[in-house]
Amino acid sequence: MKRYILNSFVAAIILFAAACRPEIETPAGTTAGQANFSKYIAVGNSLTSGYADGGLYLEGQKVAYPNLIAAKMAMVGGGAFTSPFFSEEHSNGSGYISLTALVNGTPTLTPVVDKLAIRDAAKHLDKYNGEIQNLGIPGMRVDLAFDPTLTFSAANPYFERLLPDAQVGKTNYFQFIQGRNHTFFSLWLGNNDVLGYALNGAVTVSTDPTTALTDKVTFSSLYANFLNVLTAAGQKGIVGTIPDVTAIPYFNTVTVAALLNAAKAINPAAAAIYIQTGTGAVRPATAEDLIRLPFQSEGIFGKPNGSGIPYGLHPLNPIENKWVLDKDEVIKLKDYVNSYNSSIKSLATSKGLAIADTYAYFNQVKTGINVQGVGINASFITGGAFSLDGVHLTPRGNAVIANVFIDAINAKYGSTVPNIDITQYRGVKFPN
Amino acid sequence: MKKFLLSALLSAPLWVLGQGFQVNLQGQKQIGMAGAGSALALDEASVFYNPGAVTFLEKNSVSAGVNPLLFKSAFKQTGSNVTEDVKNKIAPPFEFYAVWGPKSNKWKLGLGVYTPFGGLVDWGDNWSGKYALTSLNLKAIYFQPTLSIKITDRIGIGAGFVYNHGDVNLQRAIPVNFPDGRSGKATLDGTGTGYGWNAGLYIKTLSNISFALVHKSKVITKLDGGSAEFEVPKSLEGSFPAGNTFNAELPLPATTSLGIGIPLSKSTVLAFDASWVQWHIYQDLSFDYATNTPALVDTKSARNYRDGSSFKLGINHQASEKLALRAGIGYAFSPVQDGYVTPEAPDADRYILSAGLGYTPTRHFEVNASFFFEDVKSRKQKNIETGLDGTFKTLVYAPGISLTYKW
Repeated sequence: MKRYILNSFVAAIILFAAACRPEIETPAGTTAGQANFSKYIAVGNSLTSGYADGGLYLEGQKVAYPNLIAAKMAMVGGGAFTSPFFSEEHSNGSGYISLTALVNGTPTLTPVVDKLAIRDAAKHLDKYNGEIQNLGIPGMRVDLAFDPTLTFSAANPYFERLLPDAQVGKTNYFQFIQGRNHTFFSLWLGNNDVLGYALNGAVTVSTDPTTALTDKVTFSSLYANFLNVLTAAGQKGIVGTIPDVTAIPYFNTVTVAALLNAAKAINPAAAAIYIQTGTGAVRPATAEDLIRLPFQSEGIFGKPNGSGIPYGLHPLNPIENKWVLDKDEVIKLKDYVNSYNSSIKSLATSKGLAIADTYAYFNQVKTGINVQGVGINASFITGGAFSLDGVHLTPRGNAVIANVFIDAINAKYGSTVPNIDITQYRGVKFPN
Repeated sequence: MKKFLLSALLSAPLWVLGQGFQVNLQGQKQIGMAGAGSALALDEASVFYNPGAVTFLEKNSVSAGVNPLLFKSAFKQTGSNVTEDVKNKIAPPFEFYAVWGPKSNKWKLGLGVYTPFGGLVDWGDNWSGKYALTSLNLKAIYFQPTLSIKITDRIGIGAGFVYNHGDVNLQRAIPVNFPDGRSGKATLDGTGTGYGWNAGLYIKTLSNISFALVHKSKVITKLDGGSAEFEVPKSLEGSFPAGNTFNAELPLPATTSLGIGIPLSKSTVLAFDASWVQWHIYQDLSFDYATNTPALVDTKSARNYRDGSSFKLGINHQASEKLALRAGIGYAFSPVQDGYVTPEAPDADRYILSAGLGYTPTRHFEVNASFFFEDVKSRKQKNIETGLDGTFKTLVYAPGISLTYKW
């Protein structure tokens, strides 16, 4: 009898214990502070749109950092957040590249060509009608946002798809973002004002305005225009600084040392890699000269020219300027980024806005950080933050950077927008 | 050319293991008294608590008990509004003791089989700390043959040899993604052995206040040839070779205890134990893989434990000839320093509360039950190694029961 009493006593204790879970009280998710998140708009470029792996496609759009932020804002009074998603049938959007093989560390990158949202032979993309709050447009620049010719709205397919036919070629981005009755905004724009130039090996093509380097003073005054219209009704918001474009995997994967090692493997006598600099001079490359990522798949390295001189291994057949950010170009680009960022910070400060210092954050990523048990660094493919184009972010990278924005918003406005669990977001997908 | 090293793939050093996981559940009577009782010759569990007291037991006996333990830990990432809980899994610390010696002789033999260290924590495969750990199942089973000798009518000494059989199964996610987006997974599974000893001194003064000094040695448990399995996309299998094995060493700390027993009345006794747990031997945790690759290097993770300690006060009241009532309180200081708290041992200083009762229906039989509760303080931490940043809070519930046959 006593045994039964004891047994039921123990059973009751176990039931009781199962019900008693530990509580952890934190303020996260309780207040919007001085901010009003009821209608958030995100102004920006490819990073804002969710562009990744060399293309804009549905999976990337869904995890774009503004979309991740908006989902958390919803817990402190944020409203719905609309984005120009591609349809499920055309979920691969513009198409993108995927990693299809990795043999001895050598990746094979293959374009994804099914389920595309290309609507005509001119490669225009499926139109999106309806209101949107993620206003990110791949390729958008501060200077071209004010394109006086209004032609960029037709030339950029990602912009074109968001416009009714009647407006194509008749508006610019600065006009496009206005009149949206927002209560909160993010502005992360300006990367392409330097990146477009850098991605072309620091060569400006006169017929291609996306390869220009925006003048520093021009940048500052145009950026001020953005902040003026975005805060016209007293709205609060956040701006992002521009990451050091020379720190991305696109410029740090095909290194001079790796090329030289490869050359030595074939010809032990190889002593140097030769490059043509921005000034036209030819000299041996050093570790301070950066080679563009696509050079590896171009298949020209070491190829003899008509005179039998191998490409890149002799002063008479150097790696062309367009493939290289030479040491002086790197210094110049860093200087422009620093200048843009000091403009961004001082303008935002004068408006009382929050600042997400992504420049500082990506400098940490470059040396490697551990976030919630995940090592993240700027290595191509394995670093986890950058997608297969070596420029744009993976879902994990988006989640990490969204937290940088959220932390800055909370610090500035006394809000408690919850952080994102970055472990729910992937890095690069490895093939089976 | 065109090689991309995968060495950065696992930039967070692998594996953390077996930490502040001392299990203080070795005898129902003592558990009911918060774990105090080294200075009391209460029963056959003295084989564990104080081998020197064993010879003062009046009867020969065998007993077996179990304490189903529910380790309820919760985690909230810094800045998050989501609390994550471990799954409800019940760990089974158990104890078996036998004590025998010729009546009214100066010596007794004892045997103890018990589980002084262990941990069962399962956070699930998709929680926010999954890249640090998804689950740990650690069991250390000590086998301890013991000899206890009366030096005088009031002083006893005893010592036992300890053989440890350890089992470890540790799982975590790896931050590489399959084509469908899910993460890779690593499972380390191994068994190991270690040796040590347990010795105690028991002194009963003329005033009947008793004292105990007990030292349980460290037990360095070596795991050799454990299996290291990695579930990764095929393109990475070269970096995580199949059939790999590992060696590791798990240092289980020495404990030195000082105990006092104070009879308050003929039927009531108070016990106080102070223990010093020498966790400082746990400076780092190293894993040596049989096959290394650039992505899978041997690891050496700093643990930097300091010594822990605990203070326990218990009372045993013989309410009637057949019924005993017990209660206890205690406090323990964590050996885990700031920056080293991990999800498999979300350790912090803790309060201990306990209650117990014993029932003796016949001269030969005895049933003891206990309830043991630990409130591990909330601790906000950012792990230096993994960057896991958040607040842990843990409650431990352990009801227990044992049966004893005496003659």
